[in-house]
Amino acid sequence: MPIVEARGLTKVFRRADKGSGLAGSVKHLFARRYQDKVAVDHVDLSIEAGEAVAYVGPNGAGKSTTVKLLSGILVPTSGEVRIDGLHPQRDRMTVAHRIGVLFGQRTQLWWDLPVSESLAVLRDIYGVDHATYRKRLARFDEVLELGEILPVMGRKLSLGQRMRADLAAALVHGPRVVYLDEPTIGLDLAVKDRVREFFRGLRDEGTTVMLTSHDLADIEGFCRRLVIIDEGRIIFDGDLEAVKDRFARERILHVETTRPVPLETLRSSLPGAEVTLEETPLRYAVRFDRFAMTAGQAVTVLATLTDLADFRVDEPSIEDVIRRVYSGDLVLDDTGVPR
Amino acid sequence: MTGYRALARATARAALTYRFNLLLSLGAVLVQLVALLAVWRVILAQAPVNGFTWPQMRAYLLVAFAAGTVVSILGDFRMAFRILDGDVALDLVKPIDYQKARLAEALGGLWIEVILIGVVVGVTLAVTGGMDTPAGPALALFAASMLLLVPLKFLIVYVSTLACFWTQNFMGVQWARLAVVNLLSGALIPLVYLPHWLATAAQWSPFAGLTSTPALIFLERVDLGEGLTLVAVQLGWVLVLWFGARLVWRAALRRLTVNGG
Amino acid sequence: MRTIRLYPRLLGAHFRSLLEYEADFLILAAATVLMQVVNIVFLSALFAKVPVINGWTFWSVVTMFGAVALAEGVGSLFFDGMWNLAWQINRGELDYYLVRPYPVVLQSSSAAIGINGLSNIVTGGLMIGAGLAHSAIDWTPWRVALGVLLLISSVVIKVSINLGTNAACFWLSSPSPMFAFAMHQVGDLARFPLSIYPIALKAVLGVVLPFAFISFFPIASLLETGTSRWVGLLTPVIAAYCAGLAAFIFRRGLRRYESAGN
Repeated sequence: MPIVEARGLTKVFRRADKGSGLAGSVKHLFARRYQDKVAVDHVDLSIEAGEAVAYVGPNGAGKSTTVKLLSGILVPTSGEVRIDGLHPQRDRMTVAHRIGVLFGQRTQLWWDLPVSESLAVLRDIYGVDHATYRKRLARFDEVLELGEILPVMGRKLSLGQRMRADLAAALVHGPRVVYLDEPTIGLDLAVKDRVREFFRGLRDEGTTVMLTSHDLADIEGFCRRLVIIDEGRIIFDGDLEAVKDRFARERILHVETTRPVPLETLRSSLPGAEVTLEETPLRYAVRFDRFAMTAGQAVTVLATLTDLADFRVDEPSIEDVIRRVYSGDLVLDDTGVPR
Repeated sequence: MTGYRALARATARAALTYRFNLLLSLGAVLVQLVALLAVWRVILAQAPVNGFTWPQMRAYLLVAFAAGTVVSILGDFRMAFRILDGDVALDLVKPIDYQKARLAEALGGLWIEVILIGVVVGVTLAVTGGMDTPAGPALALFAASMLLLVPLKFLIVYVSTLACFWTQNFMGVQWARLAVVNLLSGALIPLVYLPHWLATAAQWSPFAGLTSTPALIFLERVDLGEGLTLVAVQLGWVLVLWFGARLVWRAALRRLTVNGG
Repeated sequence: MRTIRLYPRLLGAHFRSLLEYEADFLILAAATVLMQVVNIVFLSALFAKVPVINGWTFWSVVTMFGAVALAEGVGSLFFDGMWNLAWQINRGELDYYLVRPYPVVLQSSSAAIGINGLSNIVTGGLMIGAGLAHSAIDWTPWRVALGVLLLISSVVIKVSINLGTNAACFWLSSPSPMFAFAMHQVGDLARFPLSIYPIALKAVLGVVLPFAFISFFPIASLLETGTSRWVGLLTPVIAAYCAGLAAFIFRRGLRRYESAGN
């Protein structure tokens, strides 16, 4: 049985369409007009225990709204959610023990309490016994280095400190499912690395993780499954590596020669590749499919034609693929095949 | 001068933006008016007390309501928040006098307060019957007293708000001021009802000018001579507080520079 | 049970930071005491000339003022977070409350301590005590029990009205507790005997927003004063009704909660 399951999940926000100023407000009192915005549109999603799922999409695509629906914060307009077979509103208390949520943009720490006290309050809310709590805290401390920030007041934390403390706060009760919504936003590189390492630890312990992020570097090497949402609809749901194999298979070899070579000569000796002239003279770009030839073969062929002064190979990342999907260049279906 | 006029005009235009603030402070004064009208109507139904008949007490309470409503839009909250947030520093670099600027803002909001007073007084009179107005000279003196009430009330609010330079807790200061003003101005109950010593103290305090003085003149419970004395006391307090506030302001600024804002 | 035991823990967490601002606490406490002193001076000045208003003496009205102060005091000392509900809704702060295994309404109400409630409870208690001491009733055990029950019910009604009116923010989407505060001010009318008001106001204070059951009706029952003594015996029923209604409004509102940033 999947641990998280959504069927036909839909959320429509209704916004009062007020005109500007006092006149608009008065008019609104008499003739109410609303604008409906469909934030999440018939989303079906099912996550198995232990999966690490990347949930990505452009700004305003409905990522955070989905997370809020899946954690029971918002009540869906239609469709339903089950966490471990439970209804998130009807069985709120039980579900709460099983899920952990982190919103990178917002803290759950008490601003007027030191971090240690915030964590202790959460420990008591979740009814975690002291021995388990101490053990968990010690483990968090290994990667997140909590020690130095425990005595700091919530309002005095820097962004990086806050996020580390918030991660501990979201996981203090050892949840089985964790939603991480933009967990690295605004962090500097060193903290990001530490946080990512922490995520990998979580996954390796068997925690189910759903990660939303703008920074696709958070995803690579962490999530096996990729879900892309756009305008409230899931447009792709499949294996991250498969997407990479299919759409990140193109390589670009940049070469610089010591003397000019006619393009025609290059093209005829490298069939199947696309050769173009770059802006500066003596520089050429060779695009090829990594399954049709290797970069080494291409270089060897070119070396027989001319002396190579320099060369470099570019590999596209998953980031490029997803960016092309956002911009509509690339349409994926559920198996990762372009339509 | 043009700077202050611009500030007054800005508040006048923005008055509706602060309508919630205004309605809140109006609400408290209005509830008190309704409660006291109901209490006195029952008490005075049988016989006058301390020389007050029901129509007189009603007139007294309406004057108290008007006095309580004037200068409430000024937004002592706004000024307090600017001080607590440290934004006051921005006000200091402007080439205008801080105290005069705040007075100009208070004056700018008067129009909406006057309209509200008109509505409430009109409705009350329509529901409970008409009211006698005093003879010409007393009416003129009443008008003068109401005019003096505006700077007087402004100054009392202003000085108490400056307390924000010393304490983070504006609410407490505000509550204490409201309680003291309510009692000693005669807004809660005419001063003659108070124990003699307290009534005398209140009579000479700056607070009497906030309700008791104009109300007594309106009801002609004081003759012209006494009325003139009371108005002179009002004027005296306006002057004392105007210059006193400057001393407080100077002390506050010293504190601001010491604490670095 | 765990729910109740945890509440002081949540509330108490804020206590330490409160002590940082000792001077602020003293100012607030002094101000609330001053407000009650002004009330007493006003009442004694009023009753100096007229011994009885509609059957109510000075001491019975003092008892009523005391009951209001007590109820407001409990509301601010233990449930002050409710007044932040508008803010909590607007800022999406309920998000985290909703994923924790503790009632959302109690997380909201325990988010702040109104320390001025302490001085209100003390002065309110003193006023009730003094008022009762000057009354001529026989203190049978049954009457003591009735008094305790009525006062508890009165506090429950005040807190429920606070909750219900603050929960209106789920619909009003205002960033400040304007509506609840306006209703709170209307409640000040109920400090005086209800019988002095015109019928429309009686209906509002007795039925629509039952502020009269915080002070007038229960105190009338307890002191056997005024004309409608038996109505006060309904106070516990009204309290249960108000608490249920407030909880219902809050739950319905919570379903409408849309978080922030959409």
